[in-house]
Amino acid sequence: MPRTLLTRDRFSLFFLLGPFLGLWTAFWLIPSILGLDLSFRSSGFSSGEVGAVLNGEIAAKSDSFVGLENYRKVLHDPRFWKSISNSFFYVTGSLMVILPLSFVLALNLLSLNQKIRPVFAFCLIIPGLAMPGVLSTLFYLFFHGREGALNQYLILPLGLNPINWMMDPSFILPSMVLQSVWRWTGVVTLFLLSGLEGIPKWQLESARIEGLGLWERCRFVWLPGVRNLMLFSAVFLTVEGFASFSGAYSILGGSGGIMDSGLLFVTYLYQVAFPGGSGSFDFPAASAMSFLVVPVIALFLFWVLRMRSMSKVS
Amino acid sequence: MTRAFSWVFLSVAVLFSTYPFFWMFLSSFKTNQEIYQPALLFPSQYNWQAYFDLFSSKYIPFFSIFFNSFGLAISQATVATLVSAGVGFALSKCSFRGSGALLSLVIFIVLIPKQTLAIPTFEWMSWLGWRGSLFSLLLSGAVTGLGVLFFFQVFRFLPSEWVDLARIEGLNRFQTYLRLLPLVSPGLVTFFVLHFVLSFHDHLLPLLLLSDENMTLPLALSKLKDSSHRIPESVGMAASTLATLPMIVIFILAFSRLRTALREVSLS
Repeated sequence: MPRTLLTRDRFSLFFLLGPFLGLWTAFWLIPSILGLDLSFRSSGFSSGEVGAVLNGEIAAKSDSFVGLENYRKVLHDPRFWKSISNSFFYVTGSLMVILPLSFVLALNLLSLNQKIRPVFAFCLIIPGLAMPGVLSTLFYLFFHGREGALNQYLILPLGLNPINWMMDPSFILPSMVLQSVWRWTGVVTLFLLSGLEGIPKWQLESARIEGLGLWERCRFVWLPGVRNLMLFSAVFLTVEGFASFSGAYSILGGSGGIMDSGLLFVTYLYQVAFPGGSGSFDFPAASAMSFLVVPVIALFLFWVLRMRSMSKVS
Repeated sequence: MTRAFSWVFLSVAVLFSTYPFFWMFLSSFKTNQEIYQPALLFPSQYNWQAYFDLFSSKYIPFFSIFFNSFGLAISQATVATLVSAGVGFALSKCSFRGSGALLSLVIFIVLIPKQTLAIPTFEWMSWLGWRGSLFSLLLSGAVTGLGVLFFFQVFRFLPSEWVDLARIEGLNRFQTYLRLLPLVSPGLVTFFVLHFVLSFHDHLLPLLLLSDENMTLPLALSKLKDSSHRIPESVGMAASTLATLPMIVIFILAFSRLRTALREVSLS
């Protein structure tokens, strides 16, 4: 390749990659480094310094290096572990309901004719278009309570006692999972449906000729067709679940609910950093929490994706 | 038999996903007492007071909040689309040193939600003196790993011969990229719409970074809900309806393109 072409290409690459890498450095790399630095410093804030915080005089205030002290503190905090286990339950619960349900919904959509299919699919994604705050308000007013739809149409007809979905500690988390199911199922269904529509016709034909039953067709034709999309959705839902904040914030007002039974990881992060009332701002501990949890999840998911692409190659 | 089952099953699912929104819309006309009876669908009389209150900024400056949100989401989605399309093109159609590392980096960005970086971002923005303005959210939200992966797939779908042809014609890669952009317009529209929704819904970063006069819709909605003892519930319902409606309209307009693009991306 002639030399001029090479240099010209470097110029193009600069324009193609430059903006992304620039923004990434400014709003991703630098905050990460700042956060890491912050997590090694002592929490120098008391409630009296709220004014200083609001004026933006933050960096100067916490100047003493304390090493791993914050990490030790976080690891001995029972509420930290509570929030982790809650988030874990929330994520696995949502995954285990959403993925099978969407797969079945997508299969059923596939059996409809071309005209009506988009209409149904569109109706299903409507909850995904509404804001999480709207969803929680609706959930609170519509589904919740003795008079709420869940109790009226589901629990009472089964002859059970009405459940107080948002106040009973053992039902807060399941009702948050239900909320997430309500929000994401339609979107995931749309993804899977587009995957199913892309399966070549001859595969289904040959399945029919071989006389495969419904179960076998699922296993050998449809599931392999959407396996990658399933994986992608699972990863997306996991990240989204660990990052979820808005729904819980709107419904519980930033608290963890009764006995912290609805305390999610990001909510707790927010609580540690910006406690209401007389608490103290503890940015360093909050950063330490992020750095304890996030890399673990990210590395785990990265490993999952890696394994998947390895097995595809071989 | 199976077809009938499909219909019933899907109808139930559709009922679950749409009925609460009808209820929400109709509740914007109701009195508080009627709203606290969820089994009730239609209001006893249609009272438009909640909408008047919103439009006359009685409780919150709804119009400015709405346009804050809308403008922020549109500009963020535009920047994000353009920036990620470039990287996606470079990753799928150019060979350069470090492309593998860049791809891993992008995947890591997808896997680390930006909510968990919120506290250092807050510090950094304070230090820059950008806190309080919508501008701080515009650029920080425009870095998206998901977008890069999406366009990586979209451009992989285009035949490489076109890129070779462009090179023979003497175009450099950037010019080639500009020529190829119109060909992936379903992908561009799809990602624009998806990112628009995501940034329209973002709650934590606006909560930390924005000052009260620059509020966005999610903040306004939770504020309305917090003070619902003083403000009738119907106002919250009206605001929720108005916040949801634009999303539905945009999706109806873009839905067929969205399906085309998703089908293409999901092929590989």
